[in-house]
Amino acid sequence: MDYSASRNQIGSYIIQAQEEEIKRISLELHEGVGQNLFSILTGLKLVESGIHEEQYKNYLHEMTQLIEKTMQEIRLLSVELYPPALITLGLLPAIKSYIKVYTSTFGILVGLSSTGEEKHIPEQYSIAVFRVCQEALANIAKYADTSNVKMDLSWSNSELKITIFDFGKGFQKEDLEKNPYALGIATMKERMLLTGGQCEISSKIGEGTSIEISLPI
Amino acid sequence: MTELMGMSQVNKVCEALKKRIGCEFVALALQNEVGPDVRWHYASGNLNDKYKRITVRFGKGVAGKIISSGSPMMLIDFPNDIYGKVTDHPIMLAEKLVSCYAVPMFFNSLPKGVLLVGKREKYTFSEDDQEMVQDAALELEQILQNQNIG
Repeated sequence: MDYSASRNQIGSYIIQAQEEEIKRISLELHEGVGQNLFSILTGLKLVESGIHEEQYKNYLHEMTQLIEKTMQEIRLLSVELYPPALITLGLLPAIKSYIKVYTSTFGILVGLSSTGEEKHIPEQYSIAVFRVCQEALANIAKYADTSNVKMDLSWSNSELKITIFDFGKGFQKEDLEKNPYALGIATMKERMLLTGGQCEISSKIGEGTSIEISLPI
Repeated sequence: MTELMGMSQVNKVCEALKKRIGCEFVALALQNEVGPDVRWHYASGNLNDKYKRITVRFGKGVAGKIISSGSPMMLIDFPNDIYGKVTDHPIMLAEKLVSCYAVPMFFNSLPKGVLLVGKREKYTFSEDDQEMVQDAALELEQILQNQNIG
């Protein structure tokens, strides 16, 4: 095997192993820790209902509230790590759900459109596309200085195309080489290449940045 | 609390604070009535209206951390001196802030709000600055006290 082929295989293996580990932690949090907390909460509520001393009742109530808050945190963290919608409902619902969280986190509005009929994509590929979109949107929040993003998904029989345009300040390729942002872009490109797809980025100062992702179906 | 009542009084306190400290941005966040999430209700010196849509989780972001800990917090050179991810600080990104100082606001003895002052340059807020923010937070607590927060 030549050097470049072996390098690609290693890259693919690392990314896949990382995704599997993230999924494992996410499920462990949701199914394991989350379920245990739920059992503790049910038990504490039962104890609370049987206690008459005001002081202990209040204390228990505070504890149940803290557990409820922790359960919410665990649920959100688990979804943040690995979106369950991606497996159960598919790529488009997972992106829609992420965009909701994105707007409420960064205040950036995302106009999403999808044309054509959504096709089934194997999990390994849909997670790659999802992660690339996630990275693109995170970069927009960090660097683009914009309040609006346009995201278009176009489904055909043989290909899924996604365009993300940010209407932001844009950048010059030469500046990118010195920027840590460049590593993120290289990773996005690498991820898409491993799926057999592509990721192209173009930018104009003062006009915005466009990210085009394509995935053969 | 959906909208801030006594807005003109809030505005007056915040504008005075902005002038005294010489900062570019002042904002006020409050914990939602339902659930633990925190939202920015007021801003002055803002570059855009992103703050209106930002909701931070309890314990996350500058506002969420302050409400969960009940302690003040200072960032001197964002994003260089932070613990965690850059994206954990949405108000700093949205307003291009480089430094900030924020204090908790207490209602019924519980931290339920945050007053933040920020600059778009590297800056260390002096003890005098910190005291001024603290005094303004106390004043705002008084103004908002009658609005059944908490």
